[in-house]
Amino acid sequence: MLTDTPRQLTVIRDRSDKVFRGVIRAGGSTVLVIMVLVGSFLAFRASQALNKAGWSFFTEQAWEPDAGKFGIAAVIVGTILIATVAIVVTLPLSLGTALFITEYAPRKLRSFLVSIVDLMAAIPSVVFGLWGFFFLQQSIVPVSRWISQYFGWIPGLGVTGVDPTDPLATTTVYTSSTFIAGIVVGIMVTPIVTSIMREVFSQTPVGEREGALALGATRWAMIRNVVLPFGQGGIIGGTMLGLGRALGETIAVYMIISPVFFIQPNILQNGASSVAALIALRYGESTEMGLSALMAAGLALFTMTLIVNFGASIVVSRSRSGAAS
Amino acid sequence: MNIRRTFVKSARASLALLLTAVIVSGGSTAALAADYVPISGAGSSWSANAIDQWRRNVKQYGMSVNYASTGSVDGRNQFKGGTVDYGVSETPYGLTDNGVVDALPTRPFVYIPIVAGGTAFMYNLTSGGNRITNLRLSGDVVTKMFTGVITKWNDALIAADNPGLTLPDRAVVPVVRSDGSGSTAQFTLWMATKYNSLWESYCDKVGRNECGQTSFFPTSSGMVAQPNSQGVSGYVAQTANEGTITYVEYSYALKTGFPVAKVLNDANYYVEPTASNVAVGLLGAVINQDETSSMYLTQELSGVYNSKDPRAYPLSSYSYMIAPTTEQASFTATKGATLSAFANYFLCEGQQQAEVLGYSPLPVNLVKVGLEQVTKIPGADTATINIAQCNNPTFSSSGENTLAKNAPMPDPCDQKGVEQCTEGTGGASTTSTGGTTGTVTTAGALGETTAGALGGTMGTGPTQCDVDTGICSSVKAVPVATTSTGWAATNWVILSVIVILVLVVVVPPVMVTYAARKVRSS
Repeated sequence: MLTDTPRQLTVIRDRSDKVFRGVIRAGGSTVLVIMVLVGSFLAFRASQALNKAGWSFFTEQAWEPDAGKFGIAAVIVGTILIATVAIVVTLPLSLGTALFITEYAPRKLRSFLVSIVDLMAAIPSVVFGLWGFFFLQQSIVPVSRWISQYFGWIPGLGVTGVDPTDPLATTTVYTSSTFIAGIVVGIMVTPIVTSIMREVFSQTPVGEREGALALGATRWAMIRNVVLPFGQGGIIGGTMLGLGRALGETIAVYMIISPVFFIQPNILQNGASSVAALIALRYGESTEMGLSALMAAGLALFTMTLIVNFGASIVVSRSRSGAAS
Repeated sequence: MNIRRTFVKSARASLALLLTAVIVSGGSTAALAADYVPISGAGSSWSANAIDQWRRNVKQYGMSVNYASTGSVDGRNQFKGGTVDYGVSETPYGLTDNGVVDALPTRPFVYIPIVAGGTAFMYNLTSGGNRITNLRLSGDVVTKMFTGVITKWNDALIAADNPGLTLPDRAVVPVVRSDGSGSTAQFTLWMATKYNSLWESYCDKVGRNECGQTSFFPTSSGMVAQPNSQGVSGYVAQTANEGTITYVEYSYALKTGFPVAKVLNDANYYVEPTASNVAVGLLGAVINQDETSSMYLTQELSGVYNSKDPRAYPLSSYSYMIAPTTEQASFTATKGATLSAFANYFLCEGQQQAEVLGYSPLPVNLVKVGLEQVTKIPGADTATINIAQCNNPTFSSSGENTLAKNAPMPDPCDQKGVEQCTEGTGGASTTSTGGTTGTVTTAGALGETTAGALGGTMGTGPTQCDVDTGICSSVKAVPVATTSTGWAATNWVILSVIVILVLVVVVPPVMVTYAARKVRSS
């Protein structure tokens, strides 16, 4: 019996196709090569410090590379706390802004609002830092005090070493904290998160929207049942992307926090830490060993940011709205 | 090549003379101005206010001098790494800090003294709703405040220094530098020299053995650490941050409009780091005169700390520029020419402004050796400068330090044990604090209100500006008492620029949608 063998298909691409594929491939692989180079450079420079510190690099809280006593336990926890506060601030803000722009704002106003949000993304972070340090800090201190006074029993929201009933109690314990740095970073990442969410929401199929409205749904019901489920991937992806930026934010955090090298779980209390701010603070004045230790901290941050961003892209690509993009 | 003489003269001359000079030497001035290339430096934020002013002043000669005030340690490291053309530092290379020796750079260099000044203790304290502006502190009390021994402002030791004040029951919050800093080095050297046991026992407590002089302040709980002089002074100047005290160059207190503590000297007088008190204090400094040493011209300050002159401010010190002497690491002779012209400017004319800015001018001997050092920079102009024409307030024909000689004796009320003077200090010199009652007779608390309203970014400048009319007129760029005049023309210009910028971004998309709709409807 004769078995059918599938016909061999040969693809013949013309020259413009080949050139285009080549350019695209080159671009894509260059990005990967650069990423790998950055990673291996950091790993290479960090090896001296990592050899010296060993596993204690992950458990030690102090940062004194020249004394051989250093680790990222405190700074990584500080970084995560600042990023968490930032995301808590940015998520509702961005979600609300994006929904308002795509669903509620009058058509005339829409492009104006989009420009405003994009303009916000263009503000340099040092300006946010100055604003946070000179203006926001003293305005937010009463809020911090109020929160710690009434919700201090929640772990992380308490402040030690201050008596809230004493009118002369110093308010400096509420300054330079994770909370303030987190708010500033949150406001900084809001524009980028907003524009991703807005983009995704605006892609919601018109048929489904109209279907929901035709079935008698109110606008809010339509958003809840059509726009939000459709844009789920965008919400999560945008937030994760914002988280990635928040983890790496340097100069604004550097200007606001009072760096401490122990795990500071109280987000309202003076004293915070972050990897990026630590690198900015110590980079210029380090010895060879100190520099190597900073590279190791940078490597840890790099890995963490990569994981967050990969996670984001996986979530986005699995979602309905992201599958097409 | 008499260009430098030309500009030295022209700056001093009246407008008519200046015009003539420009016309006479017009061609060559233009030629040299074109020869200047941009140079960049980094380092001390202690000296930054003076350097920034000088940089602005030399712009008119076509010099573009960049400076990043990133801290002395960063300045020394960047110079060592060859990333900047010059560094500025309070401390020299070669010191051991926290067990690490700061090695000399491989590129040959010289130290050039740039300016003198006092490390002041700027504070933010009120009592009964009124700002305290006449605080006095003795050295051991300051050390105890920064080492966690004294934790409350109403401590008996602080009260003993201030018999005229009712001090509040507030926590003392020391604000220290988080970066590697020359101010920290000067302050810790003073503590390590004068109050060694207090300082070293604190170091032991926070887990560092044998601190000595260090550029990195070991922090403990209750302290706040901020980067840069701008950061610490800005933090103290935030109205809500009451009870804070920091160590920072006097100029920052003037700039932010906040008072500084008068510090007790060995003659039992409490003194403020004014230009003349710093000059008197530095008469006790020993300058390394060994030209072959790598520490040539650096300072030894124990004579300053222990000066018996009633006018001497104990925490006075010099600041240094680190300049290369060979062409290396992108440093060319053309850059050398610009750097040496800039150095000649600040060593000569620039010193006139030191006092107004909150520093103290260099004495004649240091200006002389400084100018000699400048000639070692590659490409330097070798023409000699007649330093008698620099109008440096310390100069005299006899070689004495005029500023120090004519420094006023402290008021009798500044003596230890006597009820203190009520006049304000530092940037709050117009605000006096009342006597025993602790009430304030506010004589226009200009600095205070401005600093509060603007969050401490800027305040009113020193009011002694008016005394030296001739000098003052040349430093209009410093925020001296002009901020309170309200909404000036420049503010309108800035506002309109912002509005135009926003419109440029916002209008096009709106226009496009509008146009598109019109097309569609028609």
